[in-house]
Amino acid sequence: MTAEAPLIEVENLTKHFPVGGGAVVHAVEKVSLTVGHRETLAVVGESGCGKSTLAHLMIRLLKPTSGTINLDGTDITSMSNRAMRENRRKLQIIFQDPFASLDPRRPVGKAVAEPLIVHGLAKDIDVDETVAELFEKVGLTRDMVRQFPHQFSGGQRQRICIARALALRPQLVIADEAVSALDVSIQAQVINLMMDLQSEMGLSFLFISHDLAVVERVSHRVAVMYLGQIVELGPRAAIFENPQHSYTRRLLDAVPVADPRVRRDRPLMTDEIPSPVWAPGTGPAHVNLVEHDPGHFVAVED
Amino acid sequence: MEPLLSVRNLTVTFGSFTAVKDLSFDIHEGQTLAVVGESGSGKSVTALSIMRLVELGTRGEIEGGEILFRTPSGDVIDLVQQSESTMRDIRGNQISMIFQEPLTSLNPVFTVGNQVAEAVILHQGLSKDEARERVLETFRLVRIPDPEQRLDQYPHELSGGMRQRVMIAMALSCDPKILIADEPTTALDVTIQAQILGLMRDLREQTGAAVLIITHDMGVVAEVADEVVVMNQSRLVERGSVYDVFENPAEDYTRALLASVPRLGSMAGTTTPSPFELVEYER
Repeated sequence: MTAEAPLIEVENLTKHFPVGGGAVVHAVEKVSLTVGHRETLAVVGESGCGKSTLAHLMIRLLKPTSGTINLDGTDITSMSNRAMRENRRKLQIIFQDPFASLDPRRPVGKAVAEPLIVHGLAKDIDVDETVAELFEKVGLTRDMVRQFPHQFSGGQRQRICIARALALRPQLVIADEAVSALDVSIQAQVINLMMDLQSEMGLSFLFISHDLAVVERVSHRVAVMYLGQIVELGPRAAIFENPQHSYTRRLLDAVPVADPRVRRDRPLMTDEIPSPVWAPGTGPAHVNLVEHDPGHFVAVED
Repeated sequence: MEPLLSVRNLTVTFGSFTAVKDLSFDIHEGQTLAVVGESGSGKSVTALSIMRLVELGTRGEIEGGEILFRTPSGDVIDLVQQSESTMRDIRGNQISMIFQEPLTSLNPVFTVGNQVAEAVILHQGLSKDEARERVLETFRLVRIPDPEQRLDQYPHELSGGMRQRVMIAMALSCDPKILIADEPTTALDVTIQAQILGLMRDLREQTGAAVLIITHDMGVVAEVADEVVVMNQSRLVERGSVYDVFENPAEDYTRALLASVPRLGSMAGTTTPSPFELVEYER
């Protein structure tokens, strides 16, 4: 990466959820990462590893237990909601389920216009025209703005959610499993759209996914999360071609290969990921990341 | 050799909508057949039609065609013509099914051991103690660790992967001839998916049951299938051995589907993202 300052910098970000009886879910544990300008950082891991919690912390939908978030040189960790509003324009999120992210009773054009109105931009611009342009940008047509969510397919709905996320011209878009619910042919189209938008608008992406094959396509750098902590972080080529941590290797080995000639005989494992719930006064051991080669950090294993 | 199950010209409708149109394929003993397609292609309706569950609750109708099943005694019967009471005897006993989401398929207020025992008590007339032994045996077969303890646990106490193992144990408890698995690993994490796919391959060798797997995931197809049926918009697009379909697809749709599958390792030697090269096809 270039020497310019990162767009967003997260340091020692931690989120604990109490679950009764004093026990605590260590959802995110001292996570530090950066996303550069025009860069895609992918966060991969299995259910419960804390990747979505991390996304929600970074966009301030959740308040961190500790740690800091710096956006473009400004500490937004405990900024007031009023002050946060201006910064939120720079940070947008797209969720997994486009069915649940759109109001069934509102025309989709209104959904895309809403952020412009909420942020008080409507008085300076022609909202209808801006929304129509956004629709065209994501591969939909102008006349679709008056239609309702049920009239669209899943892929089209996700395009609408992308248009809404882009309405405020954000710098960072967090895509939380944004293509996971889509059929493969649609998924490929939406991923291509996201890449086009990145080069056109200079966007940065935090791309959260459990699908390593998709991550390999879209990312510049990759962070592997396990039980709330990052166990490996580095350039995409290093993670995929020279993985160092045993969990990264295990994840890569588990991906089904779409080629019947390379069918592998895997050992029949039955082990599972341990629980992130810890009894009062206890907690996970913190991993130490060591630079294996430039920009490629690996957790030390016993 | 005569097929174990032969679907011939199957057409299934929901009111004016045709969910499956003129579909034909065979499954042979010991074989794994994958039906692959995108959402709405008719693959799950095909599975539910074989179980004759499509008419229950969902108001589907098998409008035409035959589903010929070779029973253990050697007779060939058309499942479409069978009464509900005959079907009850076949379901879970000779043809059993597992679904995508194991949590919604298990009863939360009974222990998992109890639920698997119910199937063998009902279909095979075992006593309670014999049933418990049989459940333990199937739990070991699907490699559930500490089966004696797991038996007495409730579904919420198990992880997603363990629950799916319980479902597979239940499906295998009566030694079925055919196991239908509808997206069995879609809800599971990738490391657990690898475990379950390995288990399914292993079990086929141990039990000799034929497997019909329904999936949207070409990676899963490549891992487990011998034969493949590709479906799109209610119709069969292409049918062939897994090698033919992957290496020499005959139809544009199959080529388009394969082109959009993200493949691990496809970006080796590069450092920046790059878009998919999509293949156009006529809808």
